[in-house]
Amino acid sequence: MTLTHTPGPAIAAEHLTYRYGELTAVDDISFTVAEGEVLGFLGPNGAGKTTTVKMLTGQTPPHSGRATLLGADVARDPAGVQARIGVCFEITNLYEQMTALENLRLFARLFGMRDVDPEALLRRVGLDGRGSDRVAGYSKGMKQRLMVARALVNRPRILFLDEPTEGLDPVSAEAIRTLVQEERERGVTVFLTTHDMLEADRLCDRVAFINRGRIAALDTPHNLKQRYGQRLVRAQVEGPEGRLESREITLDTAATAAELQALFSSERVVTIHSEEASLEDIFIHITGRGLVV
Amino acid sequence: MNRTAITALIAKDLRLFFRNRFFAFVTVLGLVFYVIVYWAMPASVDETLRLGMRVPPPLRALLAEDEEVEGVQLQFVASDEELQQYVVNGDVLGGIAFPDDALERLRAGETPTVTIYLASDAEPEVREMLVVLVEALALTASGVPLDVRVHEEILGPDLAGSQVPSRDRMLPLLAVMVLMVETLGLASLIAEEVHSGAVRALLVTRLRVSTLFAAKTLTGIVLILPQAALLMLLTGGLSRRPLLVLIALFLGALTAIATSFLMASVGRDMLSVMGIGIPTFILLALPTFGVLFPGAFTGWVRLIPSYYMAETVHRVANFGAGWGEVWANLAILAGINALLFILGIAALRRRLV
Repeated sequence: MTLTHTPGPAIAAEHLTYRYGELTAVDDISFTVAEGEVLGFLGPNGAGKTTTVKMLTGQTPPHSGRATLLGADVARDPAGVQARIGVCFEITNLYEQMTALENLRLFARLFGMRDVDPEALLRRVGLDGRGSDRVAGYSKGMKQRLMVARALVNRPRILFLDEPTEGLDPVSAEAIRTLVQEERERGVTVFLTTHDMLEADRLCDRVAFINRGRIAALDTPHNLKQRYGQRLVRAQVEGPEGRLESREITLDTAATAAELQALFSSERVVTIHSEEASLEDIFIHITGRGLVV
Repeated sequence: MNRTAITALIAKDLRLFFRNRFFAFVTVLGLVFYVIVYWAMPASVDETLRLGMRVPPPLRALLAEDEEVEGVQLQFVASDEELQQYVVNGDVLGGIAFPDDALERLRAGETPTVTIYLASDAEPEVREMLVVLVEALALTASGVPLDVRVHEEILGPDLAGSQVPSRDRMLPLLAVMVLMVETLGLASLIAEEVHSGAVRALLVTRLRVSTLFAAKTLTGIVLILPQAALLMLLTGGLSRRPLLVLIALFLGALTAIATSFLMASVGRDMLSVMGIGIPTFILLALPTFGVLFPGAFTGWVRLIPSYYMAETVHRVANFGAGWGEVWANLAILAGINALLFILGIAALRRRLV
C-alpha cells in the first residue's frame, strides 16, 4: 500500500532554535523534507540531532522558529501531528515487564487504532514467535526492532528514527535498514539521525550534516561527494627488491591521463582501483571534526 | 479527555503494579495481615482498676463493703512480700500496705506510715491516685467522715463501660498503612516510567499530559480505595455512616496519590522511592498514633494532612459522628489535596519533557 501525497513538504523547519541554558543546542536551522524522502541527519554526539527530533515531534517546543509536519504546525496542533508520525527513540524506552504484544496493543489503543495486527508488525521486524515474551528478556537488538515496530503501529506518514542501529548486531541492524527501505517504498517520509555514514549513504536520498547546532551542508550523498570529495586511483606497484609500494593519482585533473600512462609504462602495476571520498571524509572536510566524538 | 487512552493506561499500570512481586505480595498479604491483627485484638476495654492491699483485720472489716465498688477490684494479701509480687507481676496497678497497728494509731491521733508499692513504669497519676486513696481510707478508719457530696458530670458521650477498644482505635492506622503501601507502589511505577523514558514514548502519541495525570490519579484510586474500603468492611469500620467513612478514605487516597507524584518527581526507581517514602510513611502515620494513644501529641499534629482523614475515620467509625461534626476536617483535607496536587503535578511535569 502506498500513501497519497499532499502538496508541500512533509517536514518544514524554519529557523528552529533551542537552548539549554547558555548552550545553544540547535541554532537557527531551516530545511525541508519532501514526502517519501529519506533524510539523513548526521552529526557527532551532542551536535543537536536529538533536540531537533524533539522539536519536530512536539516533545519540546522550540525557543524560536517553527516546525510544520504535513502542513500542520507542530506547536499549535501537537496531537494532530503526533497522530500521523512514528518515533523510534535513541534510548530503549519500552515497558520491559510487559510482553511485546502488550506493548504494541497499548500504543495501538493510545493511537486509537482498532485494526492493527501486532503479530504482523512483529513478523516485519523478525520477532514473530516472541510476542508473548516479556521484553525484559530481549536482547538489545530485539528491543530496538520492537521499538521500530512500535513506531509503525499507527501507520505513520513520517517516521523519525533516532540512531536506530547504534550498537546493534549486524542481523538486527540489517533488519531495521530493510524496514526503512520498505517504508520508503510505501511513500513514508523518513527522518533518520545517525552517525553511521555508510548507513546514511545507503539509505538516504539526502543528508544534512549538523555540527554544533547548525546545518553545515545538506544535499544528496552523490552531490556532496562530487562537491567536496576527491576521486583517486590507488595502485600498488612492485618496487625495488620486489617490495610493494603505493601510488595515488588524482582523477579529474589535466594531468590525469599523462600520469596514468606513465604509471603503466614505467612501473609494474600489481593492483589498481578507483576511490571516492566517503561521507565521513566530507564531514571532516566541512566541519573539521570527526563523527564519533 | 480521551477515555480509551485513560482505560488503556490504567490497565497498563495495574498490570505493571501486580507484576512487581514485592508490591503484589505486600498488597495482598498486608490486607490479610491487617484484618487478622484487628480480629486478634480484644474487642472490649477492661475498665476495672485492680489494687493490691495488705491491711490489718480491723481495717479490713471497714473496707469490706468497698471491695464490691464498681470498677475497682481490691486484692487483699497477707504479707508485704506477696503484695510486692503482685505489683511486679502486673496483676495489680499498685499496692497499699498498712502497718498492723494502723487503726489503733489513727484513733490515738498518731501518724502511721502506709507504704505504696508501684511498678517502675507506673504513671505519676497512679501514684497520686493511690496517695489520695490512702488518705481517704485513713479518714474513714479514723472515724472522721469526709463531709462532701460528689456530683458527676460527663462532657461528651459517657463511655464508662463502653470505651473504644484499641483495635477500633487502630482503624485509622490500618487505613494509612493501606494508603502508604499503594502510594509507594504508584510512586515507584511512575518514577521508573519517567526514568526509563517510556513516558516520552507515550507523549508522542495523541496523549496529552493532562490525560496522563488523570489516568495516574484514577490508577491510584483504583489501587487504594477498594482496598481501604474492603479493610473497613472486614473490620466493621463501615457499620456506622459508611458514606462518610468512604468519603474520608477517598480524600485520603487523593492525598496519597498527590504524595506519590511528589515522590516520583525525585525518585528514579523502587529503591530511591522507598528512601523518600519510608520517612513520609512515618510522618503520615503519626496522627493515627494520636488516635491510638490519646494525648500523645499536641496541636502541631494538625499540620500533617493525614490527621484529618484519621480523625474523621475515628470519629465516624468509632463514635458515629455525623456530617456536622466532621465537615470541617473533610473541607480542610480537600484544600490540602488541591495544594498537594498542584505541587505534585508541577514537580513531576518538569521531568516529563
